[in-house]
Amino acid sequence: MQTLHTRREWLWKTAAAVSGASLGRAAGAPTAPVALARCKTYDPAELLPTMRKMFDQLGGLGRLVKGKTVAIKINLTGSPTYRLGYLPLEDTHYTHPHVIAAAASLMAQAGARRIRLLESPWSTADPVEEYLLRANWEPRDILAAAPNVEFENTNYLGTGKKYTRLTVPFGGYVFPAFDLNHSYADCDVFVSLTKMKEHATAGITLSMKNCFGLTPCTIYGADAGIDEPSETPKGSRTTVHAGDRQPSRSAPPEKDPRSPRLDTWRVPRTVVDLVAARPVDLAIVEGIKTMTGGEGPWVEGDLKPVSPGVILAGLNPVSTDAVAMAVMGFDPMADRGTPPFESCDSTLKLAEAAGIGTRDLQRIEVAGASIAEVMFDFAAMRRQRRAASPPPFRVRG
Amino acid sequence: MRWPDAWKDPATLALLKGTAIDHLLIGMGPELSAVRSHAAQDGFHLSQPGAPPAGVEIVKGQWPGVKVERRGGGSGVSAGPTGNPWVDSNGWAIRLAAALHSDSAVWVDAAPAGNALVTAASYLIAVADSAAYGGRWIVSLDTPLAVSLAAGKSDALATWRRVTAAAGFFAAHQAWPAYVPMAVVGVVSDFTGDNEFFSRELLNLLARAGQHCRILPKDRITDASLVGLRAAIYADAQPPASALRQQILAFVAAGGMLITVPQWGEVPGTLIQSDGHPRYSLRALGKGKVAVAMAGPDDPYLWANESVVMVSHRYDLVRFWNSGAAGSFCTVAPDGKQAVVHLLFYANRGPDSATVRIAGRYRAARAYTAGHPAAAKVEWAPQTDAVEIHLPPVSQYVALELDI
Repeated sequence: MQTLHTRREWLWKTAAAVSGASLGRAAGAPTAPVALARCKTYDPAELLPTMRKMFDQLGGLGRLVKGKTVAIKINLTGSPTYRLGYLPLEDTHYTHPHVIAAAASLMAQAGARRIRLLESPWSTADPVEEYLLRANWEPRDILAAAPNVEFENTNYLGTGKKYTRLTVPFGGYVFPAFDLNHSYADCDVFVSLTKMKEHATAGITLSMKNCFGLTPCTIYGADAGIDEPSETPKGSRTTVHAGDRQPSRSAPPEKDPRSPRLDTWRVPRTVVDLVAARPVDLAIVEGIKTMTGGEGPWVEGDLKPVSPGVILAGLNPVSTDAVAMAVMGFDPMADRGTPPFESCDSTLKLAEAAGIGTRDLQRIEVAGASIAEVMFDFAAMRRQRRAASPPPFRVRG
Repeated sequence: MRWPDAWKDPATLALLKGTAIDHLLIGMGPELSAVRSHAAQDGFHLSQPGAPPAGVEIVKGQWPGVKVERRGGGSGVSAGPTGNPWVDSNGWAIRLAAALHSDSAVWVDAAPAGNALVTAASYLIAVADSAAYGGRWIVSLDTPLAVSLAAGKSDALATWRRVTAAAGFFAAHQAWPAYVPMAVVGVVSDFTGDNEFFSRELLNLLARAGQHCRILPKDRITDASLVGLRAAIYADAQPPASALRQQILAFVAAGGMLITVPQWGEVPGTLIQSDGHPRYSLRALGKGKVAVAMAGPDDPYLWANESVVMVSHRYDLVRFWNSGAAGSFCTVAPDGKQAVVHLLFYANRGPDSATVRIAGRYRAARAYTAGHPAAAKVEWAPQTDAVEIHLPPVSQYVALELDI
């Protein structure tokens, strides 16, 4: 009898083959301590000592940043003109400015020579400061946190003379190397400072998924140049999401253009490729206030603002994300088909298989609060949401 | 109103009874002679299409709204270079006409295309997009609607009631057109000849970028013209006259910004070496700055968007969240005690939970919509030198009245 293989079966087999080949690397994947803290407000009087204590629990910031140029990738996903209801963006899906300022301030106190705040803002080559103003933030409040703080928009060439090529040491799942804004190479320490969220495509947004925004849309975007990067970024990263086109020819192409064109397959793998190409030295996940149901207000479904009152940091992004997942009520060992990866691959599993870090909680030392003490059950809310009917339509005046 | 050719029965005039429509543009054909006669008896002012009455300046406009174009047999919304929907609005053209012809009323001639079937929401946008900026849209019905109205169909009558309610709403607020526009940037030009295309397109694109402009015909600039502005744009292909040059440079020395073309000529002040803008060289002059483009006026889209960033979003008069394709026009009463901010939402469905931030200090705010003309309280959150207003689900037009 002839067997007809569905596309789904093929995907599963491909994934299984990759993980099988990588079992050895997964078993020996490095681990690093993760500091976990309860923090109920963004009041600097609570936030600064909490973050300082977390960094001390990791061995102290000075060891990491003294005399160094620190690049911090913040998480300002989507257009600054989208809000969840009437709430400020920082209370739902943007890294809160007080957390950014606190991180910069503590790094400066620990001796950082230069602190560069990096983001690839949605569809613009405008300075990040202008983007923040549109979000109703005052960039001067962040710039004033320390004497040596600056922003750079990394969604295009920026202030660099040329793009920097960063290679994926293990060869890459989708891309063997990336052409990125110079800022990701011109730094001694790289920090991913993100919001704790679910994600419609990748299941979760934590310190690794935040690195999706490293890719400049001038090369990896919908309107990227065909041969050379475009001058300014426009639209989304369709090259990575849908794979309906290749990056500009000046950049390394995909390893296999016949690989699945599904974002639930491509995004987790590309994120791992990026984290491997640009290793994260310090991962900070901020879940003081955030949202459930997705990574931003544009996601369809019943989205809710929540206040988990938690923040964590670690020296390995996979281990940090694993602890964050556990705080969210998810199993970091979850695989495709299991929440929050019902329809996508696990970025954590792929990263572990690539040897970046372990997601096994038994191998991760957690300092500060225990996971049980600060747990906020995103998983239960996810189950309720998926079981409920859609919200009613409101009457318009 | 442009009288539909299909309305040959004078009885159709009954549709206009009790509405704010008081002037009819009716064709001169014999089949409409009875209509003309009855309309005159009913007290309507009559004109011929294409022959406006004295004291009226006609703006040949576009059908306002989110631009929709057909692609490959399907329909789709056209996106502009920002990735945002491309909005057609006649606001800038109305304001330019008013600036150039200050003694005239401004009427907007923008009819639906061909046999297009236009929604009631789209008509509301057409009325509001003119009236908010001080103009009057010449009510022009699409043929299917005109035919259905004449036949007394209920759907058509419902649409008609929305059109006339919107016209009536603006007629009831007769004081608003006399309010003075608030602005961040002044655009100085003669708006004619070699400068016509660039200067007008700049006004259009600045409005699309959400910038609030003061239109300054350069032969009418007074000492008060630049007061309160953050920046002036001078992009005419000819250098300014000596007096105008001195006036603008004095504005810069006092802290303003001038964005101009190489044709401006010699610029005093010192070069700011650190700026490194790819298309402008920046000079410090007194307390202000001068940005001189390295090339002449070429791409108004770039000029509009780069000027917004050079001036900075810090000085935005209005910021929107969750608004979809939106526009705004800020005005202040001549006595300075009240402001009216017109908000236009160009999609066919208004926003569900839009927030609007309005710069300035205000004591109270009320909202009006064309559908609910009584003042309604709004939820608001004061900020430093601004107020944030949270709108409930609304249709395509909201007026915010703010007490200063």
